[in-house]
Amino acid sequence: MSMIAIYRALLLAGFQQMAQYRIQSLLWMLFAIIRPVIFLAAWVAVASSQGGSVSGYTVGDFAAYYVILTFVSQLSMAWNSHEFEWEVNQGRLSAKLLRPLHPLHYAVVDNIVFKLTTLPVLGLILIAVSITFGARFATQPWHVLAFIPSVILASALLFIFGWIVASLAFWATRMNTANTLWQRAAFVFAGQIAPIGLMPVWLQALSYALPFWYMQGAPTEILRGAVTPERAGLIIAGQAAWLAVCYVGFRLIWRRGVRAYSAVGA
Amino acid sequence: MIRYVRIVRTFVTAEMQTELAYRLNFVLGILEMVLVIGTSIGAVLVLFTQTSSLNGWSLPQMIALTGVYYLVQGGVNLVFSPSFEKLMEHVRQGTLDFTLLKPANTQFLVSTRHFRLVRLVDFLFGMGVVVVGLLMLGDAVTPWSALAFLVTLACGIACVYTLLLTLVTLAFWFVRVDNILAIFWAFTDAGRFPIDLYPGWLRLTLATIVPIGIAVTVPAEAISGRMSLETFAAMLAGTAFSVTFASWFWRRGLRSYTGASA
Repeated sequence: MSMIAIYRALLLAGFQQMAQYRIQSLLWMLFAIIRPVIFLAAWVAVASSQGGSVSGYTVGDFAAYYVILTFVSQLSMAWNSHEFEWEVNQGRLSAKLLRPLHPLHYAVVDNIVFKLTTLPVLGLILIAVSITFGARFATQPWHVLAFIPSVILASALLFIFGWIVASLAFWATRMNTANTLWQRAAFVFAGQIAPIGLMPVWLQALSYALPFWYMQGAPTEILRGAVTPERAGLIIAGQAAWLAVCYVGFRLIWRRGVRAYSAVGA
Repeated sequence: MIRYVRIVRTFVTAEMQTELAYRLNFVLGILEMVLVIGTSIGAVLVLFTQTSSLNGWSLPQMIALTGVYYLVQGGVNLVFSPSFEKLMEHVRQGTLDFTLLKPANTQFLVSTRHFRLVRLVDFLFGMGVVVVGLLMLGDAVTPWSALAFLVTLACGIACVYTLLLTLVTLAFWFVRVDNILAIFWAFTDAGRFPIDLYPGWLRLTLATIVPIGIAVTVPAEAISGRMSLETFAAMLAGTAFSVTFASWFWRRGLRSYTGASA
């Protein structure tokens, strides 16, 4: 059976499953929107108290930034780490490992289905937020073109990184702390607190050096139209570099991990 | 009254015996809370690199507010949310019968039966952050504002408790209310900033449907001496109303409970 046929079958099953849990998927979206709106409101308050703009960012810029950040987060998000931890803990992974398909593919399909089903509603909400706050997009056509590879790289990077963290479940059966560490690192470095240009210089340097900003902040800045062509090229190169590093890392960890996996309860 | 204190003590002891088997969880819980609170305060500090006041809130006041946020969350997650999680299960499975038979107030029993003792860490750390904010505020804390803080904090936690109780009571009719609770949890995140920061529709949601905003903002206002007498009075009246309502609603719901064998 070809890979295309496999994916078609998996996608069909995925959509049918999703149709069962419509409300749940809308709720997950609520979680995705609340935090960016909170920080948007905070920055709008800061900008208003400074007479309409902070360090060159107007209220409209903040709105555009957080609307796109939400959109990018939804496009690139992956929750495998939680599901995978559960599968390892329950010993359910054993069945999947026996199948001729790498467990990664099931996760890919789940992600695609989730995104396609939630994006239309999210889009409407984001349009409403844009109008409420008067979002100002400086996007040129070429920004959109550069955004496509950037968001694909970001999703791949986040996805692989999630699997690296999840693979730790082979050794440690309680993953809460690793997940918290990851979430908080993303909170600080990915651009959720502020657009990277507004961070203190040392935090900017750290954000550029670590992989987290390349998962969310980088495509956001490109689509918002806040970068020059040279800078966009540099950002995409940085994303590709981190993706390569993470991919190699994941292969190494996975191979060792499967050997260490004892199938809890087996 | 003394009898109820004894009951709670028994519940805590029982919970402690289970949790002591997983001592590492406590250490990890502390580590996670250091990360969470540290980064939250970091976010506030980043905001304040660009301004000296956030809608009239100064940095020390915002730090105190962040502390109150974790105090309230810690308080709710320490006892009410684990107890209510179990309660929903009991309603679904019909095992609430056993609780109903016990010779004590049922609302009290279902609200305090389970403790997630790790969350005590949140409560203590939240307290610590409030103290840091107060020290930064300097001599602005008066006995009156300290008293008002404690009263409004208790009212705030009570308001969140009554909302949760009301939502969980819906389980008597709808059985599965996990989704409604998820909406509540989604909005709690907004409590990390003062409610006056939000656009009208969100402020209304936070203040009325999801009182977490009030539960955090009002005590923080009280301790930093920004609370008006009207707010204080409204807080007391609102709490009295919601406690009465939730208790009535709970008894009303209980009458619809059909039990395991029915």
